[in-house]
Amino acid sequence: MRHVGTIASRELRSLFVSPVAYAVLTLFVLLAGFFFLSSLLQFEEYVLRMQQFQYFDQLKELNLNDHVIAPFFGVMSVVLLFMVPGITMGLFASEKTNHTDELLLTSPLTMWDIVLGKYLAAAAFVSLLVALLALYPAILLLYGDPEVAKTLAGLLGLWLVGLAYAAIGGFASSITRNQIIAFAFSFVLLLVLWMLSFLADLGAAGGAIGAATGFSDFLRWLSTAEHFESFVKGLIDTADLAYFAVLVGTSLLLTKFAVESVRWR
Amino acid sequence: MIEARAMSKRYGDRLAVDSISFEVARGEVVGFLGPNGAGKTTTMRMLTGFLPPTDGTAVIDGHDMLTDPLRARRSLGYLPESPPLYPEMDVEGYLRFVASIKGVPRGERRSAVERTLERCGLVDVRRRVIGALSKGYRQRVGLGQAIVHDPPVLILDEPTVGLDPVQIREIRTLISNLARPAAGGTQHTVILSTHILSEVEAICQRVILIHRGRKRVDAPIADLVREGGGLESVFARETARDESEPEAATV
Repeated sequence: MRHVGTIASRELRSLFVSPVAYAVLTLFVLLAGFFFLSSLLQFEEYVLRMQQFQYFDQLKELNLNDHVIAPFFGVMSVVLLFMVPGITMGLFASEKTNHTDELLLTSPLTMWDIVLGKYLAAAAFVSLLVALLALYPAILLLYGDPEVAKTLAGLLGLWLVGLAYAAIGGFASSITRNQIIAFAFSFVLLLVLWMLSFLADLGAAGGAIGAATGFSDFLRWLSTAEHFESFVKGLIDTADLAYFAVLVGTSLLLTKFAVESVRWR
Repeated sequence: MIEARAMSKRYGDRLAVDSISFEVARGEVVGFLGPNGAGKTTTMRMLTGFLPPTDGTAVIDGHDMLTDPLRARRSLGYLPESPPLYPEMDVEGYLRFVASIKGVPRGERRSAVERTLERCGLVDVRRRVIGALSKGYRQRVGLGQAIVHDPPVLILDEPTVGLDPVQIREIRTLISNLARPAAGGTQHTVILSTHILSEVEAICQRVILIHRGRKRVDAPIADLVREGGGLESVFARETARDESEPEAATV
């Protein structure tokens, strides 16, 4: 796998001469600013109201981590759901429309050179997005004292969510030659994966799924939201880390099979 | 240098290529002929390892494409039917990328790219973005990616399609020079497919003609001209011979 870096750097360079990367970056930063500001304003309103009504006990409970950073990260994890497919939709689909799949597959490259190289490029872009996101809570450090460790755990959670999305988006791109279909397919996959814990909660309330609690637990385990939330709470659990590793690994493996299958059809 | 061993390709019920075998010796330039849909592109894709054959195998420079694909592919330069280009890259950056994935050592990449730019007449457009180039230039960049690593074996699928007469002559000269290099250069073995019979006469020593997935003719051009009454009549005779056969092998 000597050529992973070559594939990754070519992919990144192509990404940054396309308008997609800049559109995603701009939208992402704008949305982040909007949501950050709105959770901040809401926090301010809480504080004012509690002072007004002299709820001093509750006032003590209020803190930047739980009432500004956590909701902000929560919303941004949903924003990633839209943004990452935009980055990954062209990863493999565009090779087919450019006919460059014929170049890559007749070069002395292994399948992992191609799949990992492309994934690394997407992962690097996701890392950039999350790094930009870190700027917003950093602003809070100037005016208040949020818990740094807890904030970093949340960022780690967002980063892992983004990395998993990139792997799943790459898979969606590998099974079609149409970028729009790749986008839609990965978006639906990610949304379902995100929503599974809601489904499990509905079941737990007494629905049909609730009858089989094992199944409901399984759905919850599968859901990205569930694992992401423990990071936001400041918990770094190896079980959650393992979950994201399994998700990324499985997606990359499926991608490899999908790329290979073009040959065997 | 190039050997097809009883290669077949089946798409569902349709047999696109039916047990084709041939050998091409070092330094030979072979023209691969056949009407549209005869199985030329499929055969070439099997030779390059892009498509695995349903049966049989291809051997490139002594390496079996099925059992030793990485080494077989390293000895190979391939220009597909549509040149495989990244429209957003510039010519030089693209060739450097191809040189790298084809396994040209880091220290030799610059000179490999320079040599290719000169050979293909791309020096003036080296910094241009590929997507902004004319079709002729894009075809040349496509040829450039096939030869940048100086592979002993070249497989070219319609290398002169879409070019104007002057460009066609330049590409033909280039291909001829690749097979008969100046002292010290790599001697290339070339298979090229084309519809232009005069092109075959101009640069190839041998013709392989396939029709409906089967090899019909495999002979030196000189023989065909002497005994068969010229390429055109051989082509017409061989491809018209069994129009009445069942549709099983057509495309």
